[in-house]
Amino acid sequence: MAATPYALLVPALLALAAVSLYPIFYGVRASLHKYRYGLDMGSAGKQNYTDVYHDPVFWEAMKTTGKFVLLAVPIETLLGLLLALLVARELRFGSWIRVALILPMTIAPVVVGVIWRLMYASDIGIVNPLFSHLGLGTPDLLAHYTGAFLGLVAVDVWEWTPLLFLIILAGLHSLPQDPIEAAQVDGATRLQTFFHHTLPLLMPVLLVAVTLRTIDAVGTFDQIFVLTGGGPGTSTQLISIYSYNTAFLFTQYGQAMAMLVTLLACLLALMIPAVQLIRRNSRAAS
Amino acid sequence: MSPARRRVSGVLVYSALAVALFLTLFPFWWMIDTSLKQPVDIFAGVEFWPKHFTFHNYYRLFHNYSFGAYLTNSIVVVTASVLVSLVLGTFAAYALARFRLRFGVDRMALYGVLLVRMLPGILLVVPLYIVLAKWGLLNTRLGLILIYAGLNTSFVIWMMQSFLEEIPKDIEEAAMVDGDSRLSALRRVVIPLAAPGLIATAIFAVIATYNDFIIALTLTSTPSAQTVPVGVSTLIGKIQIEWGPMAAAGVVGALPIILFALLVQRHFVRGLTVGAVK
Repeated sequence: MAATPYALLVPALLALAAVSLYPIFYGVRASLHKYRYGLDMGSAGKQNYTDVYHDPVFWEAMKTTGKFVLLAVPIETLLGLLLALLVARELRFGSWIRVALILPMTIAPVVVGVIWRLMYASDIGIVNPLFSHLGLGTPDLLAHYTGAFLGLVAVDVWEWTPLLFLIILAGLHSLPQDPIEAAQVDGATRLQTFFHHTLPLLMPVLLVAVTLRTIDAVGTFDQIFVLTGGGPGTSTQLISIYSYNTAFLFTQYGQAMAMLVTLLACLLALMIPAVQLIRRNSRAAS
Repeated sequence: MSPARRRVSGVLVYSALAVALFLTLFPFWWMIDTSLKQPVDIFAGVEFWPKHFTFHNYYRLFHNYSFGAYLTNSIVVVTASVLVSLVLGTFAAYALARFRLRFGVDRMALYGVLLVRMLPGILLVVPLYIVLAKWGLLNTRLGLILIYAGLNTSFVIWMMQSFLEEIPKDIEEAAMVDGDSRLSALRRVVIPLAAPGLIATAIFAVIATYNDFIIALTLTSTPSAQTVPVGVSTLIGKIQIEWGPMAAAGVVGALPIILFALLVQRHFVRGLTVGAVK
């Protein structure tokens, strides 16, 4: 067989299209159809979109998703940057410290959910005793509207700060050392060197890291499913949870897909710049 | 910096790292601790070490909560889907690493693959559910294998493309001058050289597939096809949560992944960032 590049490429691309492009096309089609008890009742025009856009719960879920991402990602970025700067120097047990700090992001998000269920639990957990020991009462986080939301943000920070830490650390190691050393020779303080030289040089990597993390955070599902299921009330109902419930509890596939197509449109506004950034970085590297 | 100041800043750095390490690792220990306690002790207040050490929670996990079945399903599904995607993806990655195609098709394919990689699972599961239902593949291992094989292919292409580009062209061209066809040069020369990258890629694909939840959750419904993460979540839906077995389930879910992760820590950045940073 002649190993033309196309013969090597096509099977993989077909397999990939079958589980990504095809479902998306099918999903867009489903968003234009009416479903009753999970059965396709034929074309519905734009009805699903009209229904969804008139549904206050949908907008609330979008808002909750936005709040979640805008709160969690900046915290993760700052902490990740701080940790990376701490670890970037020569340290005793440095490689062990690095591995240990990354562990939360390697395990299944469902297990992350279990871990924090055990931490937050009102009867057997540790967060309540800790707070009451500090004289702050027993917050019983997952039972309260704001508490549950902040509790989820804390879990996300615990799980994903390691990703930012890891990328930023790699970025720091690949920086050219000359301008930084030159600045220090010229008598710049550490802070000056950081803000005038290190940070600007790090920016391309940092931007990619933050964009990738943001895209991922928008789709957060597993941990919420395990920890709160979206409650109490709708306090932790991100768009992923609401559309899941719409599809699989209420079998409204059409409406669920109308929400998800809307979400995809928003996400594309992040995904395309992300790809362009990665492309530019890899060109600059080669 | 004066030696005294240097010592102070060293102490500060190590204390900050100690705090970070404690916050990172303590939640893991709390889960392990709970999984090794007897039910009475779990409710007996904060105890950082199991007073009456027991493996009973693990026994119940496999005896009462069909964790053996979940584990078998996970192993079958992960192995089959990763193998398929490694074959498909490596061929494609080789084509992308070695050929410049007309109209920039190769670059388009590569970045298209990256886009697919970024799609959140929730976007895909509703249509996949409808399609699999039509084909009679709901709640089967085969259905999961097909879908994971396809999705993993995107990851394999991206990773292997970057590993293969690091291998000099001359080596396989020499083999081809000596009479190898391109495919046999790939098999005899390139793949052995790329083996470390291939193994790292395989391990990352295993981690991602074993950890996936939302696809398995929506496409399976009984222990005949449900995977470990779905099994873990079934312990939570109950009115009264069985904390001991749930903690044990978390440990079983995390342990193989942590072991695998330790094996590939050198490639962490490339593997966990869709190749955003090498």
